[in-house]
This record gives sequence, C-alpha cells and structure tokens, in this order.
Amino acid sequence: MTALTSDAPHGTPGLGERLWDVVRLHTTNPWTTLILPPLITLGIFGLNYAIWALVSRAAGAELESDAFANNGGVLWILVYMMVTAIQAMSDTFRFALGMSVTRREYYLGTSLYFAILSVIYATGLTVFGWIEQLTAGWGLGGYFFAPFGTADQSLGLRAYAFFVLLLMFFFLGTVFASVWMRWKVNGLLTMLFTIAVALIGLAWWLTDVGLWGSVGDFFTGNSPLGLLTWTLPFTAATALAGFGLLRRATP
Amino acid sequence: MTAVIEVQHLTKNFGKVEAVRDASFSFAEGGIHGLLGRNGAGKTTLMKLMTGQEFLSSGSVKIFGKSPVENASVLGRVCFINESQVYPEDFRGKHAIKAASRFFSGWDEAFAHELIEDFGPPLNRPIKKMSRGQRSAIGVIIGLASRAELTFFDEPYAGLDAVARQMFYDHLLADFSRHSRTVVLSTHLIDEASNLLDRVVVIDAGEILIDADAEGLRSEAVTLVGKATAVHEFAAGREVLGVQQLAGIASVTVAGLDDNARRAAADAGLEVGPVSLQQLIVSRTSGRTSATKEGADS
Repeated sequence: MTALTSDAPHGTPGLGERLWDVVRLHTTNPWTTLILPPLITLGIFGLNYAIWALVSRAAGAELESDAFANNGGVLWILVYMMVTAIQAMSDTFRFALGMSVTRREYYLGTSLYFAILSVIYATGLTVFGWIEQLTAGWGLGGYFFAPFGTADQSLGLRAYAFFVLLLMFFFLGTVFASVWMRWKVNGLLTMLFTIAVALIGLAWWLTDVGLWGSVGDFFTGNSPLGLLTWTLPFTAATALAGFGLLRRATP
Repeated sequence: MTAVIEVQHLTKNFGKVEAVRDASFSFAEGGIHGLLGRNGAGKTTLMKLMTGQEFLSSGSVKIFGKSPVENASVLGRVCFINESQVYPEDFRGKHAIKAASRFFSGWDEAFAHELIEDFGPPLNRPIKKMSRGQRSAIGVIIGLASRAELTFFDEPYAGLDAVARQMFYDHLLADFSRHSRTVVLSTHLIDEASNLLDRVVVIDAGEILIDADAEGLRSEAVTLVGKATAVHEFAAGREVLGVQQLAGIASVTVAGLDDNARRAAADAGLEVGPVSLQQLIVSRTSGRTSATKEGADS
C-alpha cells in the first residue's frame, strides 16, 4: 500500500497520511456526519416552506411582504454540529486507539475532518441561500438560508459567517466530547454547572464595575465581519482545551 | 536477542484498586509469548499499558526501547486485538477490516482475504449484532493480516469453536515463521496454546507470579500417581503443588524433582508423568489465591 516508504520493515507512514486515515475513519460510515445533517436541514426547510405556502394562501393579499424574512430555523444546524462532533468522537475514539492511533493523531485528524465539514456545510448553506435570493425567497418571500433578515448581506460574508460559526460549534463539541470520554456524565454536569457559575459571575462583575456599556459597544461598534472574526480566537481556545482534555483520556 | 518489551516495576492503580503491582518482565524479539492468568488478574490492563492505551502509575514500560504512550513511531509497529474492543456504532464487519487495512502499514490484503474465507465472518452484519465468536473472528483477521511487528492478542478466540481456534493456531504459526513477528497472547485455554508458547508470564491479582521459559516450566514439575500411602510418603517434605485422592489412589503434583528424585519415585512404584502447563498454573494460582483469602479473613 505504501510503496514510497519502504526503509523500515513496513515503513512508518507520515503524520499527514495518519491524519487522513483518521478522516477516512470518520467517513467510513457517513450517516451521522454527512447524510443525516443535510437530510434534517432539508426536512426542516420543507416544513417551513409548507407553512409559508399555507399562510400566504390563507392570508392572500393581506400578507406583509417581509412576513417570512425573519426565520432562524437554519441555525439549528450549528447546535446540531456540536452534537455531531460529540457523537463522532465518542463513537470512534476507542476504535482509533485500538488501531494503534495516538491521541494526538486522532485529535488532529478529527479536527481536520471538522474543518472540512465546516467548509462543506458553509458552502452548501450559501449555495441554497443564493438560490433563495435568485428565486426571491422561493417565490414566497421566505428566507430560510439567510437567518434573521441577513438576506441583504453579501454571499461572501454569509459563507464566512456559516464557516466560522460551524467551526466554533464543532470545536465546542470537541470539549464536551473529551470531557464526556474522561469523566462521563459527572464530568459533563460539573462542566455545565461551572460554566453557568462563571457566566453569572461574569455578569455580576460587569454590573459591579459598570462595564455593560462597553460590552454593548463591542457588539454595535464592530462590523459583522469583525464580530465573526472574533469567534476565531475563541474557537482556537476551545480546540486547545479539547486536545488538552483528550490527551489523558483512556478507552 | 533484543527485548521488544521491557517492563520494570510497573504499577497501575485505579483509585484504590491496584490492578498491576510492581510487575517486571521482558519479552525477546520473535516468538509467541503467553500472558496467562485468571479473569481480572490484570492481563488486559497490562496489555493496555504496553500499547499506550492506559497510563501507568509508576515504573516503566518500554516497547522497542521507547515508551509507547503517544508514540507514533512505536505504535505504528504494534497491533493490539482487544477482546472487548469497542467498534463505532453501526460499523459492519467490512468497515472494521477496511479501516484496519488503512491504519496498519504492513497490512496484507491477500492474506486478509484468505483469512476472511477461512473464518467466514458475516462482513455485512453490524458488529454489535454479531455473536461473540464472529466478533472474535474479525479481531483475529485484523490481528493476523496487520502483520504488525508486535501483535497483542487478548483472549482472541472467545466464543470461537475448536475448528476455528485450530485455524487460528495454524495461521499464526505459519505466518509467524514466514514473517518476523513477536506475538503476545493472553488466553484461558492454556493447554491448547501451550505448545505454541515460547515464554510464559503468569499474572495473578496484579502480580507477576511466573516468568519462565515454557519448556523449562513444564519440566519443573511432575505428577506422581500411585498408592496413597506410597505417594504421601514420597511427597512428604517436598514442594507439593496439588493433591488429588480417590479411594486408595493418590495423585500429587510435585515441583523441583531432579533426575535422581524421579528415579527414586519410579523405584518406589509411583507412576511419574508430565504435568500440563494448565495444571501447573492452576495449582500455583489457586493455592495462592486461597492463601491470600485466608490471610484477608483473619
């Protein structure tokens, strides 16, 4: 199979090759990560479309033109990708270790796969958003693939938004997955409780020092592009946390 | 010969439980080595420590001279077939074999096909719906076809019938003589595998009890059968590993008899027979375990 690396008895494959093997491990059974998410997305879109058609038929001319412009249904895929990351990792980690893969190779390969999935899904959602634009909201003024009135934004920005948000939720998923694999339910509960305490503590502190105004300024002052880019350092932090936690996980 | 595996003063605690306690042994390159012991003795834990799946508490494990933990250059030469391997949900037999063919660089596809033909596992069946024997067959196929330099088989044939087990032994011996491989085999079926084994390490309650050459171990003890009175008279003062008595006939397993002593036993009218590896190990481990229990009770 690996004719190019033949110095050692069997040849030691390079890191890139090992990472790609991990990617292939995830795609061996494509149902969870590649088939189900588009199916459910299209299913939800179909239901939305049916409701739009029903409402516009009932309302007739009285319908406001932007009645269906503020749909957020597509954002479910972000949360679902976090679940997918948890499923994919808890599903394959023990098997990968049984195939003599190191945790490092496993985590890097899995991260690569999640990045590829983010590109695929961001592209898919943007293409549907583009068709949606061309058809003026599927002929009904319904905007499913441009959530919350973002249909007037450029396709490039929308693709970027989908990509960085998908990435963020995937890597949040790696943290949850790693915690799950090391400490199971108790670990997850402790983590969720700690996060809740930290957020409330942060809110107290912001109130105490009177910084809420600055927080508001951050969100209104930054452009959408700037805000989206701010997710990247956060995503990188979660990616590092996920790796740090997984490094000591045992099957 | 260089040692492929070197374990020194290895201890592994799970909370308060000492799964492995101060274990030291080494396995030379080439050969089939047995890691034997009762259920829960620590065999699987030991194998997980030797393949970097578990983290040791103290001591050291060296595989090909290096720690296996997170070491791709070591693990790339190792294959560990774990009896309780967890496969991804919805994986079918063919998925597992396909995935393994990518991960093991020494994988021999033609050999894999031959093994699939011989063992005949249902490749299209989801693994979680397979019987224990069918799952074992998948593991055996992966372990053999991986052609890894160092292969661990943990109870590889749980649920396999005698024919399939014999097939496994035949393939293992044939492949092992053609390709330089080191195999570590853990099993309950000691006698069945005993003539394959070059070296035997017996672990009991987390401690290494026996670390010996299989041949030497077998010649270490003999069974003496004869009239109860004669047997007991002869055995008195010697290291007795086991006693069985039925009516006036007794059979004892005695360790440490030299040639003179064996002749003396024969002269005393006792039948001197070989002891099986299994008998030897059972007598060593069961005696010890009951002694430990008594100690704990008092």
